[in-house]
Formats: sequence, structure tokens, C-alpha cells
Amino acid sequence: MPKKILTVDDSKTVRAIVRKTFKSFDCDILEAGDGVEGLSVAAKTMPDLILLDITMPLMDGVEMLAKLKSSPQLKAIPVLMLTAEGGKENILKIAKMGIRDYIVKPFKEEVLTEKVSRIIELKPSSEGAVKIRSLTDAAAILVVDDKPAIVQQIRNGLKHTPWVIHDFGTQAAALDFLGKSACDLIIISLSLPEESAFTLFRMIRSNPKTKYTPIFGLLVKTDTAPMQHAQTVGFTTLVTKPIDMLELESKVAKAMNLDVSARYFSSEGETLVLHVPESCTPAALTEISTYLKPKLADGVDCGNNHAIIDVRQVKALDMGVIKLLLAAMQTCRDLGVQYVVVGNPQIIAESKGFEETRSWVFLDSMDAAKAKFAAPVGV
Amino acid sequence: MVRANITRAVTDVLKVMLKARVEPAAVAEGGPGGEIPPEITAQLAAPHVVGSVGFVGDINGLVYLYLPRPFARMATCHLLGLTDSELTDAGEGAVTDAVGEITNMTVGSFKNALCDAGFPCMLTIPSIITGSAISVESVGGTERSLYTFQCSGHRLVAAVLMKSNN
Repeated sequence: MPKKILTVDDSKTVRAIVRKTFKSFDCDILEAGDGVEGLSVAAKTMPDLILLDITMPLMDGVEMLAKLKSSPQLKAIPVLMLTAEGGKENILKIAKMGIRDYIVKPFKEEVLTEKVSRIIELKPSSEGAVKIRSLTDAAAILVVDDKPAIVQQIRNGLKHTPWVIHDFGTQAAALDFLGKSACDLIIISLSLPEESAFTLFRMIRSNPKTKYTPIFGLLVKTDTAPMQHAQTVGFTTLVTKPIDMLELESKVAKAMNLDVSARYFSSEGETLVLHVPESCTPAALTEISTYLKPKLADGVDCGNNHAIIDVRQVKALDMGVIKLLLAAMQTCRDLGVQYVVVGNPQIIAESKGFEETRSWVFLDSMDAAKAKFAAPVGV
Repeated sequence: MVRANITRAVTDVLKVMLKARVEPAAVAEGGPGGEIPPEITAQLAAPHVVGSVGFVGDINGLVYLYLPRPFARMATCHLLGLTDSELTDAGEGAVTDAVGEITNMTVGSFKNALCDAGFPCMLTIPSIITGSAISVESVGGTERSLYTFQCSGHRLVAAVLMKSNN
């Protein structure tokens, strides 16, 4: 459930700045222009936090705070003063009335989010989560590495994706970028000088805007000390050099919670095609298994009663692939979907060597598979 | 003390809220008859949005902040995250409210330093005037000082009026 923040300020500008500041977070901003309205809105909505100005017409912030704290119903609502009224005496006087924190205007938006996040949990807006992102959606990836060759490898390895790579060689430049721009995933070299990778990690995690952004650590396999340190502090995952780009792409997609089913499933007319890839890594097999039942069920729902299991790209029939194919065939049978398997000579020959696969019937081309479905039933 | 305080207040507010660099320029300090430099008089003939906020307590006074109209619009767009055409759609009220808040923050910062120096006082609610050739005359027993600033190619003027017995 979104957090409710009530901003009580006679300035529409300040209320607009508050709205703008929390736009990217999962919270509802409620507004009131003076203390009287503030108390009324607070009683009706029971906000999780009140941002309260002092100098206002009708009822000022000090009077509203006093009434709030004397109300059994409202006194537990935390209050953060956001006001141009500073001065040590004033702050001390108001602090004694039971406020949680105090910001003197002018204020930076990041200071406001930082102080608010100490009082209530701020989560990124769920607007983006409503639409499940896929491999064709753009995303911004920040790479922090002082080695241009590594950055170039990542750029080259991901250039076929719609992801935009931003790279910086220092912690300061990366933080400056994050202060101005949104980012979907961050890759940090753990070999940056003076342990600045870990300092940067802490700073990113302490900022409510980037608190939940996936962060990958980049290191050489033999760097065991930083590897353990990174695992302890909570890096999302680690990527070892030399970088396996297929593995990196798969990890990025998983960390960004992308729908990668388009890699393995396509629809041709009334037929759903499962493309088993050449590189059947455990990650790829898991991904396919995850989508298998929902994609076939969706297909049936849309009138696709045929499936082609295409293993022409597969180089070897190992147990992982066999298990996947058995699961695919069983799912088709469960859903009443007619299926055929299209293979290459190598796979067809290997299938004769296993008890579980000996009886499988393969077609040797996609055209043959489509022709089979086009033929009248019983042929 | 007034000059350093108003300079710090204007500089801080515009730096923090607008990420703008401010350079102090001409100053005309003095009593009720203090001369206003001709270039300031000429500049104030152009359309301005003027915010004013007072402070009352152990020390009393009023600060006027004169923002050239194009600067006021630019500042409003920055504060609210609007384009110029969106601001036009939002209406003139958005500009006056934003200038009121910039003035409130500036005078708040100015006043807080007075409080910390042993002169407790409170802010009044901002008021706004828009137009050309707006001039503020000192009333009896009040001293007026004018401070000008360069910011983003515009000249801003802060007029500080304080009771003489302060």
C-alpha cells in the first residue's frame, strides 16, 4: 500500500516541489494550505507522515503541531518541519513539541527524501511494475570502471540490446550522474582504487531513489577478499572477468525482472514454437522451464493448439535438455496441444542412445512440421 | 552585517533551489535619503515581479526582492519542473507564488541569522507585486539599503528596510 505524505504549506510552489520530489516513489501526496485544513486532512486520511510549514495564514504550523500532539487519534503521526523559520532558539522550542526532524528552507530535494526515508520506508513507484518490461524495452545501465577496455567489452557485448550504457571512471562522477539521471542497473568494478566501490555501494543504497537498484560487482575470479566482502554487504550478484557476455546479459535481464520469453517462444499462425537455444546453460533451461506452462496455456487460450519444439540449434542431448523436452511434451499433453519435435541429425542420432528418448519421433525441418499440422487430422 | 547577511541569503537560496550562480553587484546603503544609483532606477523601469516578506520581534524590517519578469518565469519553471509553455498554461499565479516562496526562503535565511545573533523575530506572510517602475520609499524612522546581484544574465535587486532604532 502506498505511503501517505501530507504536506501542509501555504505555498503552492512548495507543495508542487514536494509532489515532484516524491513522484518516483510509491507514495500518495496529500495537500493542505494551512493548519486548519491540515488537521482536517490528517484526521480524514491518517497520513504516514506530515511535512509542516510554520508561517501560514489562519492557523500556523506551531499551533497545528500543538493540536496534533494533543489529539489521541493523531499524536502518533510523525511530523517533519519544512520551514523557512530557522534560528537555534526556534528549532529547540519546536523540537520539544515532539517533531521527528527539521528542514530549514532552502532545501535540496535529496535532503528531503533522505530525511523522509529515515522516518517511513520509501519504495520506488510501482507505476513501472504494472507493465512487465521485456527484452525490447529500453533500460539505462551505469558502468563504473576505470578500465576503458572492460567498458568497451560490455558495450560491444550488449550492443544488440536496447539498453543504454553510461560509463564513468570514478565514484564522484557516478554519483553526479545518479543525482541527475535514473538508472535501472549499476555495474561497479570492485578494483576501483581505495575501496571506493564499496563506498559507492553504500552511498547508492542509502539514497532512497537507488536503494532498490540492482548492483553488480565486477572482479577477477581470484579476487577472493573483495568477492566475499561484496557478498557480505549485499551486491545483487558478481560478474567475473573475463566476462561471459551471455551470462552477463542473462543476469541483467533477471535482475531487472525482464520478460525474456521472446528469446525462446514465438507464435506462427496457430502454432507456438519453442526454440531451444544452442547454449543450453542451466540459467537458460531454468528460464525456459519458468515460461513453459504459462506460454503454452496462453497459446491455447488464444487458439494456438499446435506446438513445435525446435531443437535444431542444440549441439548435444544432455540430461538438462532431456528433462526440459520431457517437461515440454508432458505440458503439451496436459493442455491438449498437438506437438512435434524438429531436430538435427546429431540430436536425432543421440536420442537413440537414451532409454527416455529412444521412442521420440523427430522431423527434420520446420516446413515438415508446419506441413504436418496443415494436413487433415489422421494423416 | 546586513550586507553580508542578505548577500549570503540570496546566494544560498538561488544556489540551492535554482542551482544558479550569483554574483553581488552594486550596493546603495544608507538612510531615508540614500541615493539610488541611476542604473538601478533604469533597470527597475522594466517589468518585475517583486516579493516582500517582513520580520517582526526584537528587530523589525521588511525585505523586497525584485526579480525581472523573464528571470521570475525561468525560476518558476525550474522550481516546478515545467517548460515555458506549460508555465503559460499554469497561469500567472504560479509565477507569483514561486516568487513569494523564493522571497520567503531568502528573508527566512536573513532573519534566522538575526535570531542567532540575539534578535529573535518572526516572519510575516509573503506578498507580491507585479509591474514596472515599482519603487519603495522609506517611511519615517526607516533605513533603506539596496543590494544588487547578477544571476543567469539578469540583475536582481534586494531592498532591505529596517527601523532606525534597530
